[in-house]
Amino acid sequence: MSDPIFVYALSTCPWCHKAKKYFEDKGVVFEAVDIDLLPDDESDRLAAEAFELSGSRAYPVVRIGGEVIVGFLPERFDQLLEAEA
Amino acid sequence: MGHEARKGALRDFYTPLVAAMGYKFTPDDELADFLLEQEAALEETKGAPYCPCQVRTREREHDMTIVCPCIPFHRAHFDAMRRCWCGLFVHQDVTDPDSLPQIPASELGIRE
Repeated sequence: MSDPIFVYALSTCPWCHKAKKYFEDKGVVFEAVDIDLLPDDESDRLAAEAFELSGSRAYPVVRIGGEVIVGFLPERFDQLLEAEA
Repeated sequence: MGHEARKGALRDFYTPLVAAMGYKFTPDDELADFLLEQEAALEETKGAPYCPCQVRTREREHDMTIVCPCIPFHRAHFDAMRRCWCGLFVHQDVTDPDSLPQIPASELGIRE
């Protein structure tokens, strides 16, 4: 696995919770950040990073290897995990 | 006003608004309750019932497009999904909201 899996999330978003749980249940190492819980400058920096990657302000934004997925799309996550394995 | 009361008021306020756009509350009551709870809290702390699943930028022009119900600002996208992004609202003929995945606007060729 190249880059670690990263989940840009919002603490208020149930689909972000589902995305994190998906990786936890898979026993996959990943990092996640609830952007809305950070101080404004840090939150802005990561929101800009997620926007740069996804072109969207919708969450979750999930980076698996070189791929970026917007939304809770478990089948897509499955495919990418298999490709990365 | 506690969140329960405010959640009830938001539900009463949204129902006719989204019906006029061909939408209704998701049949998934647990999801609806959770999302309304988040919106009531966001309204209390950030000043408006923002969509719980879209990030605020603190640029007013953008942030106004994610105040619930944000359907009019994302109409093509949400109509294609037959749901709004966070799933609080679905098309009126939807009976199984779990069958409706989130689809990024970019994959629908929609620029937001």
